Amino acid sequence: MKLCALLLAALIPCLGQPLPADKDKAFGNPSAAFRLDIFSDFECPACREYHMQILPQVEKDYGGSGKIYIVSHEFPLNIPAHKYSREAAYYATAAARVGKYEAVADRLFLTQAAWGESGKVWETVAAVLTPAEQKKVLALAKDPAVMAEVQSDYDLGMRLGVNSTPSLFLTHGMRRFPLPNFNNYTLFRSMVDGLK
Amino acid sequence: MALSKLVRILLVVLRVGLGAIFVYAAWIKLRDPWQLFAMSIDSYRILPLGAVELAARIIPWLELAVGLLLIAGLWLRISGSIVSLLLLTFFVLMLRAYAKGMAIDCGCFGPGETISWKTLLRDGTLVAAALLLTTMAFLNRPKTAA
Repeated sequence: MKLCALLLAALIPCLGQPLPADKDKAFGNPSAAFRLDIFSDFECPACREYHMQILPQVEKDYGGSGKIYIVSHEFPLNIPAHKYSREAAYYATAAARVGKYEAVADRLFLTQAAWGESGKVWETVAAVLTPAEQKKVLALAKDPAVMAEVQSDYDLGMRLGVNSTPSLFLTHGMRRFPLPNFNNYTLFRSMVDGLK
Repeated sequence: MALSKLVRILLVVLRVGLGAIFVYAAWIKLRDPWQLFAMSIDSYRILPLGAVELAARIIPWLELAVGLLLIAGLWLRISGSIVSLLLLTFFVLMLRAYAKGMAIDCGCFGPGETISWKTLLRDGTLVAAALLLTTMAFLNRPKTAA
């Protein structure tokens, strides 16, 4: 009986059990036919490329029409070259709580090379916030609940087998597909349009 | 006599084992949308999109066909040669990607498996097994009367 329960628990993720989502980091209709979960790291150049080149196309073609619900997850890589990733993830998650996730994420990716070098993460984030928002975000970034949310995203990624960024999962009905290649939008479109 | 029987048993094990692996690899790809395998092929950055799409549609069926032929022990020289050629091609491409530091999916058994020394070791072993099987199939072919 215990074994059956364990097997069932192990199988559920493969069957596309809904993943947790922070609504403040999501875009589109939550009841859309597709859901795209993105695990990324603000210091990762490939994540920058995805965020700046591919994601706007996905949002334009499918987000507005309500066909895809896009959910962002933090996956700050624990590598020496990405020493400010987690700090950036805390600020972005804190900014989500004041409705500024997209603006902060855009800014962090746009100026990735600069703050990655200088370590001026807060200054980068603050540039797109009002003084009142800055005060709130600064306090929220140190809130254990925000830190726990980032860790929870990271743990979720680990459970799903994420070992590089960006990692994408497309859920359709009861099936979840890990996407092996993020930068071919033609194939992504063909897949989404092909699935009914 | 005992050695020849042992070799025969080993070859049957190799043939059925390789066949089962190919059928499994094909099944994993065919149950998912073909675009997922196409994305894996595309990540190697060696083929234009049209060829990627064609390969993604054909390779799983080819894997299924040669896998079933190997299990059934039919047309062993042909199926063994195709399996060896496929595995050798996959292995060389994976080796090239690994040497270039490309952290990409190998695409062997569906998405979610990054190329590593473990996948290279596994595929290298499969290449050796396929070559051995094919060589034995050619060496043991029935002799025709002069």
